[in-house]
Amino acid sequence: MATEFHNLQELRHSASLATKVFIQRDYSDGTICKFQTKFPAELDSRIERSLFEETVKTLNCCYAEAEKIGGQSYLEGCLACATAYIVFLCMETRYEKILKKISMYIQEQNEKIYAPRGLLLTDPIERGMRVIEISIFEDSGSTSSSSTGSPSSGTAQ
Amino acid sequence: MPVGLSVDGALGYPSPSRPFRPSRYVPVSAATAFLVGASTLFLCFTCPWLAERFSSSIPLYNVVVFLFTLANFCMATFMDPGIFPRAEEDEDKEDDFRAPLYKTVEVRGIQVRMKWCSTCRFYRPPRCSHCSVCDNCVEEFDHHCPWVNNCIGRRNYRYFFLFLLSLTTHIMNVFGFSLLYILHHTKHLDQVDSGVTMAVMCVSGLFFVPVAGLTGFHIVLVARGRTTNEQVTGKFRGGVNPFTHGCLKNIAHVLCGSQAPRYLGRLRKPHSVEVQPPFLRPPLSEAQLEAKAVDNGIQQSKSSLEIMESQSTDADPPPPPKPEHRYPGMPHTQNEECSLLTEAPPTPSLYKYRPSYSSPGKNHTASTHSSKMSRGNSMTESPSVPVTTGQPSYRSDPSLSSRGGAGCRGGGEGGKAGSGGLGGASTFGGRSYPSFTDTLLQSAAASCSSSLRSAHTAHNALGPLISEGTTSTSYKSLANQTRNGSLSYESLLTHSESPEFESAAHELSPPRPHPPHSLSTAAGAPPISGYTSPFLSAQQREGSLQACPAPLRPSPNRAFLRPTSSPPSRAPPLSPRARSLGSPPPGPAPGHTPLGKSLSYAGGAELQHRPSSSGGGTPMQNNTVSFFLQPMATLLSLEFLYTPSIFLFFFLLCSLSLRSSAFFCPPLLLPCGHKDDSVSVLSSTIKQNVANHNTPSHKPVGGVKKVTGVGGTTYGISV
Repeated sequence: MATEFHNLQELRHSASLATKVFIQRDYSDGTICKFQTKFPAELDSRIERSLFEETVKTLNCCYAEAEKIGGQSYLEGCLACATAYIVFLCMETRYEKILKKISMYIQEQNEKIYAPRGLLLTDPIERGMRVIEISIFEDSGSTSSSSTGSPSSGTAQ
Repeated sequence: MPVGLSVDGALGYPSPSRPFRPSRYVPVSAATAFLVGASTLFLCFTCPWLAERFSSSIPLYNVVVFLFTLANFCMATFMDPGIFPRAEEDEDKEDDFRAPLYKTVEVRGIQVRMKWCSTCRFYRPPRCSHCSVCDNCVEEFDHHCPWVNNCIGRRNYRYFFLFLLSLTTHIMNVFGFSLLYILHHTKHLDQVDSGVTMAVMCVSGLFFVPVAGLTGFHIVLVARGRTTNEQVTGKFRGGVNPFTHGCLKNIAHVLCGSQAPRYLGRLRKPHSVEVQPPFLRPPLSEAQLEAKAVDNGIQQSKSSLEIMESQSTDADPPPPPKPEHRYPGMPHTQNEECSLLTEAPPTPSLYKYRPSYSSPGKNHTASTHSSKMSRGNSMTESPSVPVTTGQPSYRSDPSLSSRGGAGCRGGGEGGKAGSGGLGGASTFGGRSYPSFTDTLLQSAAASCSSSLRSAHTAHNALGPLISEGTTSTSYKSLANQTRNGSLSYESLLTHSESPEFESAAHELSPPRPHPPHSLSTAAGAPPISGYTSPFLSAQQREGSLQACPAPLRPSPNRAFLRPTSSPPSRAPPLSPRARSLGSPPPGPAPGHTPLGKSLSYAGGAELQHRPSSSGGGTPMQNNTVSFFLQPMATLLSLEFLYTPSIFLFFFLLCSLSLRSSAFFCPPLLLPCGHKDDSVSVLSSTIKQNVANHNTPSHKPVGGVKKVTGVGGTTYGISV
């Protein structure tokens, strides 16, 4: 049984971070938050182009929605003025709510689409909304046959 | 958000804590004292009589206005203006010494340059600027306001603007009601209440003129969709502002837009997703399979080339054609270099997950060149790797690339450390950031071609040396003065930091113990023309302001290349040309450009601050406008002093200058700028000119006057 245990460990693969791709902002429409949908060459063999583009387009839509100047944002501003901005301590702004939605969407995309392909999206807000960071993992092969070899999964931080 | 201090522990790269400087808190303390003190005295001594004599709603109204003013003041003071966190090391892929100092993007048809920020380690987004006081890049940077001791940027501009409006209203109320009180107590002026009311009236009257002047200035800015930074650096003097959406929409954007999120101080959630092999792979197309089958792994496969080229077709037409500048033998790949020609910056990628900064490396000179080649090759090889080897691994040359990178970076670090030793270059806490004094170091660095991106180029001579014969300072390696980006009004004369106009930054930096850098240096000669901005020298840009756009260099792409790390053998031939490009010509060369441009605003004050700045006079492109703008900039610099008469003068001059520039947009009328239909005309005209011009001299093309904005954008004005 100990032998089996070691064999299983030997057979276990681990992922290691190989490189990172950064999707830059698309400033063609001004300073609104929008990312380029151009498919990076590094992902060519890792993920289908359509999936990637769909992800980025969805993110762009969400950000556009967050930055939309409309009735809700106006009312939010009026309420903030009326309460001497104390309401910001109690209430979450519209943008923050949409950011939370985006964060959940990215996590879902990671779980369903990107992680199975050895990729990991990072929320752009963590980079100051300048880039979407995509970590590319590689299969680093089986672990060593040492008894203490612990399989390490490519859980990115 | 704490005022004036960078936030440590924020996500990503922590910014260093800056030394505590009590002098920075004097203006904000004085402003707070005056505001709260005078208002309290007014409410306590004058309002009781007003409530009794007229109505109790008067004191109530005054209290509401005062509280509103105070709330906006606090928000402007304490709110994060939109600070970008430092980029993490892995994002900084440009240990590639070819990394350019500027990247050009197209914003609504207008070329805008993004400059590399050596402090924050990323290319500054449009409208972003680095504040030297706060030592942060701020989104949509307006200015650094000493009265609130905070930068004014995207997130808190609204509060600052409302603060100005409400303060003006409050001052008028206080002054008016105090005057009413005095007029009714002319025979009781010896009483305490009257005395206090008179004092309050004097204080409010004294502050009314500068505050109202500044309010009027910002009303115009809001209506025109500009920031203070853009206004005083003359970015859109040519008339086309890509960031404006019309008067009403500009106002709506400021007042009714949703509150932007902060980037610092966010909780960083660790990824809860486990990435574990085996990994799914997308099915390869037939073309890819066929191509890979014949691919020998050295040359880029045809299919991948097609794929890459098809990607580029999405981009707008590239800037005017540039001579082939690539290293011989390198295939035309969709690498960063190539994509610089297209509208948007390429998708940067790391070759290999980069280790942390290594020790300064001296061997980068040899390795950089090879790594240059290897990097390019590797990028082309990567698509074919999985096919030929069957393994989904990138067949890069990690030793070379990482070594080169590490070497470059190490060199940079070494440079930094050296520069720090040279003369206290770094003024930022424990970080040994290079600064002006690095110029000396850079001279050495040029020969060793260390990682220039981290080195700061103070003197133009250096930039050109490094340039491989291309436009001198368009290299991240020469990035430097960017840290002096604070745009407090007082520093406007000395220093203004803007995405496209970083070359002026060092010119405008506040007086330092170090010798100022000549303009053209580093930014040396950052290319000007908006459509091909990185290529033109500062001199050219200056000249272009007179008439035509600065001529393009024959190899504009080279401008993007970072020459330094090039082998020493390359350096000598380049230096003379580079020097000719970058070194500030003695006397009235157009080069002192960015300084010149800003000098048009800063005028004499700037020269007073920087006597040895760029040697020689600074030509004023637009003498008429500059005649008015010089004193205006002087006045702006005196925001700190804020005497009423000066600001009245400032306000008048501002109006005059706006009129003379034909862009005046009275707040009431709000014609709000130019139509942008001339952009397409400009682009074709500019491209034409760019292709034709090879000399720094600019002559107006028949019928169209070319004006190059500070940021490198070039506009044609029909004459």
